[in-house]
Amino acid sequence: MATVETPAPRTAAYGRFGRGFLVVAGLLVLWGLSAWIYQLTQGLIATGMRDVVSWGLYIFTFAFLVGLSAGGLIVASAAEAFGVKSLKPLARFGVLTAAACVLVAAMIIIPDLGNAQRIWEIFRYPNWTSPLVWDILIILAYFVFAVVDLTVMSRRDIGRTTRAKWLRILAYVGLPMAVLLHSITAWIFGLQISRPWWNTALMAPLFVTSAILSGTALVALAALAAQRFDRLKVGEETWRALAVLMATTIAIDLFLVACDYITILWGNVPRERAALDHVLPGGSWQAVFWLEWIVGGLVPFVLLVTPSLRRRFWVFGLASALVLVGVYAFRIELVVGGLLTPLLHLPPGIALGEYRPGQSSFEVFGVYHPTWVEYAIVTGVLVFLSLLIVLGYRWLRIGRQDEELA
Amino acid sequence: MAADTAETTKRWGMVIDQNRCIGCWTCAFGCKQMNNEPLGFWWNRVLTAAPGETTGESNSALADPASDNIDVPHGTYPNVEMAYLPVACQHCTDAPCVKVCPVGATFRQADGTVLVDYERCIGCRYCMAACPYGIRVFNWGDAEQPVDFTVGYGKDYRVDGRLVFTPDRPRGVVEKCTLCVELIEEGSEPFCVEVCPVGARVFGDLADPNSEVAQLVDEAGATQLLPDLGTDPRIFYLPVDRERNV
Repeated sequence: MATVETPAPRTAAYGRFGRGFLVVAGLLVLWGLSAWIYQLTQGLIATGMRDVVSWGLYIFTFAFLVGLSAGGLIVASAAEAFGVKSLKPLARFGVLTAAACVLVAAMIIIPDLGNAQRIWEIFRYPNWTSPLVWDILIILAYFVFAVVDLTVMSRRDIGRTTRAKWLRILAYVGLPMAVLLHSITAWIFGLQISRPWWNTALMAPLFVTSAILSGTALVALAALAAQRFDRLKVGEETWRALAVLMATTIAIDLFLVACDYITILWGNVPRERAALDHVLPGGSWQAVFWLEWIVGGLVPFVLLVTPSLRRRFWVFGLASALVLVGVYAFRIELVVGGLLTPLLHLPPGIALGEYRPGQSSFEVFGVYHPTWVEYAIVTGVLVFLSLLIVLGYRWLRIGRQDEELA
Repeated sequence: MAADTAETTKRWGMVIDQNRCIGCWTCAFGCKQMNNEPLGFWWNRVLTAAPGETTGESNSALADPASDNIDVPHGTYPNVEMAYLPVACQHCTDAPCVKVCPVGATFRQADGTVLVDYERCIGCRYCMAACPYGIRVFNWGDAEQPVDFTVGYGKDYRVDGRLVFTPDRPRGVVEKCTLCVELIEEGSEPFCVEVCPVGARVFGDLADPNSEVAQLVDEAGATQLLPDLGTDPRIFYLPVDRERNV
């Protein structure tokens, strides 16, 4: 039903809560930025990474953000391609989160580089056997696609039938693109013969599944917030569809992880057991196991499949947030698990690349404790993501989409 | 580099005789000096292993260490055993680091040496994740040196214009064993070969069937490290053989 209403100015008041959010978020982003500047003056020695665990918080977050970008686009494309009507109200919001997430995923790579000023060399001297080159290309393509999709959805000068036709075509392009994005990111890890923990054909299916899972959770959280603090209206049917999608992908995700565990446990090959033992209960990184399986797995699953619980606003929000925690734990488990135990772990171990007076310059097994610099940069980037989503939501007037698109 | 056509027919390789290695670390220290490696950097290390642990005829090369410390034998007294496994870049024919480098900063020359271009490396450390042998070292911060002057080769060295060695390390790049390309070109051997006090290392041209390396590889049963990965290293090992007369 189209209400006759003059469109609110785009800079409409944010309200007291909204202004508070903008100020705090802005400060956190500035804090992250200063941490990055500090890191530039010191080099990556300011991080907790060294030669054994040579990838850390930045890469966990990169893999996590790439995954997050899936949900929105899949929600939107599924609404079009498979005619899932109940997801349609969230299509525009979904694509907005996808664009924001993939943009921020590309950003988090930069502080991880030792020579960020040379990043353009990836385009000048691309080495086509490197999954990283393909990943950067698909990330850029995905971002462009999301922006185009969003434009087609939002412009007022496109007729109803033309819009419907284009959205359908875009949906058929978007779905395979999303699958490709997550598969290529998975292959950064999955193709490495030097890391038995990563070197499994399950990696791409796992990434696609966990991407749908975490992406849907992000769309759900964003929609909950918009419903609470703005006028976005999302029907019961849509919440149900989101809950079903999340519960199903939690189950598939944990099933795939369990397949991997069982293959390693039964085979009992030392080089594969070494990595798994770190994350199983009793291992040095067991926290990620509990976060993945219980806190971010079983608990949200139960909350989402129990209708009486799911219908409560806070329960749905909690379940979605826990899903994000669980998927982040999976990223940590994946990246760190592959690095902790080098294939050749004979004494004295691998040289660390740092001189520590009175201590060994070698590590047989990896140790990793992120520093405040890494926490600050990652916090800044995640808060920047929420800012992008909030500002984009306002700018595109997503809260009013029902009226506009009707 | 006019002599390149002759050079490219070479296939450099090395054989390390574990029957001879006494675990003295002279090769590691020599390497550190020749290449002016900063504190905390080791391109070349001598691992404490057990006999037979080198070559992957079993998975024992991947077994747990006897201790975090070097020179601790495997097993329980009186059934103890120990061998030394010197490990630096294996100069793989099918090198995982070359395949993953997004910008081709790590590259393999026709003579088989795998090198890093210090001016191209973006510092993503993908090669460190990809290397099965854990031999790459990253310049996390500014290089710290024990003395305030340069030791070893001491100059920049370029291959086809690409900076593959410099005594003053740039921040944020990955580095590793170069097989002493700068010395090979002068007709010398890699420095670890030169300084080994027991002659455990033999260097030469694998393409020449009469060379000592080629004969050791063909006839003495030299093996490669983690051969099941198919990386086909140019560094070979003669595993400990108690029956053999060294």
